[in-house]
Amino acid sequence: MVEVQSHQSTTVELFLLVALLLPLLSFFISFSISEKYSWVVPFITTLLLLTSVVSSVYVFFSVWKHEPVVVQLHWFTIGNFKFNVGILVNNLSAIMLIVVTGISFLVHLYSSGYMAADTSIRRYFAMLGFFTFSMLGIVVADNLLLIFIFWELVGFSSYMLIGHWKEKIEASAAASKAFLINRIGDAGFLIGLMIVWANQSSFNLIELTNTTEILSWQTSASLCIFCGVIGKSAQFPLLNWLPDAMEGPTPVSALIHAATMVAAGVFLLARIHFMFTPPALDVVIIVGGITAFMGALGALVQHDIKKILAYSTTSQLGLMVMAVGVGAPEAAILHLFTHAFFKAGLFLAAGSIIHSLHQAQHKTHDHFDVQDVRNLGGLRKKLPFTFIIFILCGSALAGLPFFTGFLSKDAILTAIQQWIGSEFSWKWFMLAIAFIVSFITVLYTLRMIWSVFMGEEKRTSTLPIAEPPLVMRIPLAILGFASLWFVVCSNPFDYSGWLYSGLHAGKYFHSSFMPIVSAVWVVLALVVGYILRKKSIQSSLLLHNFYLDRIYNALMVKPTLHLTSFTNYLDKKWIDGFIHSTVYTQVILAHFTNWFDRVIIDGSVDGVAGLAKGVGSVTRSFQNGKIQLYLFWAIFSIIIFLIWLII
Amino acid sequence: MFPLQHFLYLSALLFSIGLIIIITKRNAIMILLGIELMLNASNLNLVAFNQLNPSTLDGQFFSLFVIIVAVCEAAVGLSLVLRVYHEHKTSIPDELNNLKD
Amino acid sequence: MQQYLISLLIFTPLVAALIGIFIPAKSIPYFKALTLLVNILQLLFLILIFSHYESNGTIQLVEKQSWITINMGELGTLKAEYFVGLDGLNLPLVALSVVVLLITTLSSWTINKNVKGYFLLLLLLNASIIGSFTALDFLLFYLFFEFMLLPMFFLIAIWGGARKEYASIKFFLYTLVGSIFILIAMIGLYLSVNDPSTPGQLVHSFNMLNMAESSNFISNTILDPQHSWKIGPFPARYWAFLLLFFGFAIKLPMVPLHTWLPDAHVEAPTPISVILAALLLKIGGYGLLRIAYPIFPDAAMHFSWFVGLMGVISIIYGGLNALACKDLKRLIAYSSISHMGFVLLGIASLTTEGIAGSVYQMVSHGIISAMLFLIAGVLYDRTHDRTIGNYSGLSTKMQSYTAVVVVAFFASMGLPGFSGFIAEILIFLGAFKSNSVNGLLHESLAIFATVGLVLSAAYYLWTLQRMFFGPFHLKGGIIESSIVDLNKREYLMLVPLAIAALFFGIFPQPLMDIIDPFAKQFSEFVLNSGKSLTLNP
Repeated sequence: MVEVQSHQSTTVELFLLVALLLPLLSFFISFSISEKYSWVVPFITTLLLLTSVVSSVYVFFSVWKHEPVVVQLHWFTIGNFKFNVGILVNNLSAIMLIVVTGISFLVHLYSSGYMAADTSIRRYFAMLGFFTFSMLGIVVADNLLLIFIFWELVGFSSYMLIGHWKEKIEASAAASKAFLINRIGDAGFLIGLMIVWANQSSFNLIELTNTTEILSWQTSASLCIFCGVIGKSAQFPLLNWLPDAMEGPTPVSALIHAATMVAAGVFLLARIHFMFTPPALDVVIIVGGITAFMGALGALVQHDIKKILAYSTTSQLGLMVMAVGVGAPEAAILHLFTHAFFKAGLFLAAGSIIHSLHQAQHKTHDHFDVQDVRNLGGLRKKLPFTFIIFILCGSALAGLPFFTGFLSKDAILTAIQQWIGSEFSWKWFMLAIAFIVSFITVLYTLRMIWSVFMGEEKRTSTLPIAEPPLVMRIPLAILGFASLWFVVCSNPFDYSGWLYSGLHAGKYFHSSFMPIVSAVWVVLALVVGYILRKKSIQSSLLLHNFYLDRIYNALMVKPTLHLTSFTNYLDKKWIDGFIHSTVYTQVILAHFTNWFDRVIIDGSVDGVAGLAKGVGSVTRSFQNGKIQLYLFWAIFSIIIFLIWLII
Repeated sequence: MFPLQHFLYLSALLFSIGLIIIITKRNAIMILLGIELMLNASNLNLVAFNQLNPSTLDGQFFSLFVIIVAVCEAAVGLSLVLRVYHEHKTSIPDELNNLKD
Repeated sequence: MQQYLISLLIFTPLVAALIGIFIPAKSIPYFKALTLLVNILQLLFLILIFSHYESNGTIQLVEKQSWITINMGELGTLKAEYFVGLDGLNLPLVALSVVVLLITTLSSWTINKNVKGYFLLLLLLNASIIGSFTALDFLLFYLFFEFMLLPMFFLIAIWGGARKEYASIKFFLYTLVGSIFILIAMIGLYLSVNDPSTPGQLVHSFNMLNMAESSNFISNTILDPQHSWKIGPFPARYWAFLLLFFGFAIKLPMVPLHTWLPDAHVEAPTPISVILAALLLKIGGYGLLRIAYPIFPDAAMHFSWFVGLMGVISIIYGGLNALACKDLKRLIAYSSISHMGFVLLGIASLTTEGIAGSVYQMVSHGIISAMLFLIAGVLYDRTHDRTIGNYSGLSTKMQSYTAVVVVAFFASMGLPGFSGFIAEILIFLGAFKSNSVNGLLHESLAIFATVGLVLSAAYYLWTLQRMFFGPFHLKGGIIESSIVDLNKREYLMLVPLAIAALFFGIFPQPLMDIIDPFAKQFSEFVLNSGKSLTLNP
């Protein structure tokens, strides 16, 4: 049953399996531990994840710039076709393996502090484990069907985690919305799978790569699969679920809705980049551009700190998708890598603000929305550690030099610049969007940090605020550290470090021109941002994400509900009505035949009987037991007889 | 001497009256009376027909015999009627329908 | 023993029912024990069957006894046999039946009205379901098929809910109309098919396998493929196929012949709903695969687009209606219609993937719908109210129940890891591929069917959100103390089903081993003989 065709030693495979299955084990253990001992769950799951991180680091070093790991297991056979489950770990997967297990571990560690007071902690850690397992599944899977399977499973765990606080109506509504919108994208993904299957009868990535010439079906197939990416990575037009998903616990937002799951779309694009034809790539870049722009504008006007970060995530994902669209998946993955760390850092830092303020509120019974930046300010004194982390990760997000974000954004901008060519066309517009987006990114990052940490304290001044516990500060420190440039590259102005060179497939364009432009641009944006730091933009359109929710409500949800009531009506009135009317016709017919039976048929039979009865009663009346009557009749007949004789 | 026809007319009249009494009257005693009338009509006939053979008195003897029988019959009939009346408190034959189906 | 295993499976419940007649009606535990004993015996027989069964695409464990033989002189001989056997199509369904019937008995433990009658009818139903799945003689099949109606009618009409009379009569009339269609086709086949085992003699038999061979048709009879009579626009064979198709489609049920199902489900007691959804609906799909398609492959190919279209309409229409439902059980009933639409789509594709997916979907839907109806029953047992809007935040009071509901709902949604996913993905792949392989279905059918996936997510998630999440409160006069979590018996019913759904979702190979030879053979047979019949009409 096992067909191993690996170029790697079995030890690597073993470690890979450990890295993969430990999160799943964590899922089962969390559920099997009884309610009474639920306090041990965070320890065990965090330890398991740590082991998983260690294993994936080993796998990473064995695979990086070496032969990929290929394992194939036979799953089931239909007719002449074999469905396999397999693992394909190349450089791309190896780097994702690190990102997913690493951030998942940090989030586990962080959650053991953040969620300590939660009553359903077992379910929380179980679903975190399950999510990590499913995400790793997407990363290592060697065929599209398997990717689709794990793709749906991360959707499921995301549903469970967004709706973790199930008593909150908004949380469960947001969870349903996220899953449903993802399902719409996944339906597209499924159609893509069908196209691939109908043309190739195989889902294996290696086999699909071997079809060298570009085939006509690839455009439709890749665009359909891109629908799945649109759903999962919150791209236009399915981007409105991500801000709502912030109803979940903050560590979940960091892990799933910033660092890993939403980035799975970008990963998939990079993984199956070979399938995309030039027209399909044009669609990809346009979608990415629109999303990046919309997300950036949205982040500019939000008041909820988590929503600012969510819109910013959408925008950054749009940039990554653009990078894939211009044919530079390496740049996208580089940005994915850096973004995963600094965005997770930002979310967790935001979480620690929320946590600290909630603790303080709990003591003083003063209740206001701690996520609303308008209520915050001047927290740099009370939360200095968090402030530093915010500065570090925020600088990376804004793309300041000497931070990872600068390098990865630089890679994307360079790739776009290479792609547009020298002639003026619509492609220049995309470059402009990328620059505008990076400008706005600086603006909203500055505005967010300013309104939270600088200025005077607003409603928090009376609260006894303390830094979060150590288990929450360690992940923050690591993530803040990972935002510095040397994590990806030794040269702070050249993105082609160890990571990029490990990923790129021999095409590397570096211009010394771009970093300078980019740095000047960012500094300019900083200046503008500082001048405008007190101004706030009032735009209901942007605040409500271009009214996408309302548009979908009017265009999709309402018509569907109308359609359902129509089909219900159809069922009750027409189909059942038809059935009832045939039955009634039959019953009426039956009544008529019954009448015919009674009146005509029975009537004629009764008539004959009645005649006989009448005759009988006449003759019977001659002999009714009265002697006198007998006598009368006798004499009467004699008289008749006599008369007859005489005549 | 009266011609024979006149007696016959009379007896036919009597007989008819008796018959009509029998048919129409509901009371048993009246019926008995009707029977008596009819018997007497036949007696009259017997005596009248004796005219055709005056040497003998056959007709008169016959009628005497009939009268005696009639007396016996009337006695039996009346006693039956009395008995029935005693039993059923009625002397109307129509009401004596115990045996009727 | 080995050669009588199927008969044992069919006749054990009948014998038990006969014994049961003589047990006084007051001794209630005996009836429960008797039925449970029969179920366990059947499970043992099933295990024995599996140990003797070899998956090689042939019909196995065949029993053939002469049953009715009437010599009619010049009109030939009427021959019906007791002919049963198992292959890759009906073995999974028989296994499903045995398991679901066992769980049904457990779920019937709370019945307290006329227990004797109930369990005896259940035994009769048991025998007729297994009989109709195993029969290979058309007359025998028809007998079991019709016989099923009788216990079902009474089980709904006596033990049902408020509108039980309406529902049971509707169910009965609908199904009877379907039976009449099938009967007409059966008589046509009887007149047209000769038994090849006695050459030179005219023997009309009801053997389904003989009917599937075009060479066995007597020339110049009504359904003779060479000179099929033309009635109206189509040859008589096409009409016969349509009769069979509609006959079984009513059972399936296919939109727009489906309105009996929601009513019957809503009114039927929980165990009967389970049997209805998990087993009775499957007989519709089974009949198409066993009878309509192999016997009339030419017509089947001609009408494939129609069958597929009706499948897609069922998928979408059922989903839309489920979204509009206010009653939990009605919602599940409409989701059944939607999921059985996939079976039609898979059959219509006539690809190996599609056929295998359809059979897989029947088994998977059997497991998952049984779970769903048991879940609805659990709530109804406690509160006697199934209105979705009357509940909110149940998860706080019934944690295990909510967990099971989430599992069942996501399984029914076709989440990977559950059996429904394997079935649906195979059907999608097969339906989409059909155009390039055999040109029967257009790709757009498969594409439109994906709408069903989104709809199923919508109605289940909405239900979860309304009933189970949010703050806890109840409406409509439900007493709060009645809301208690699952008991042991309910665990015993639900957990095995959940495990089965998971098992067949993660390890499809054991089941696929059985189905695959059949699916391959079936699609090849129908396509080849269909093509050869269409080429020389």
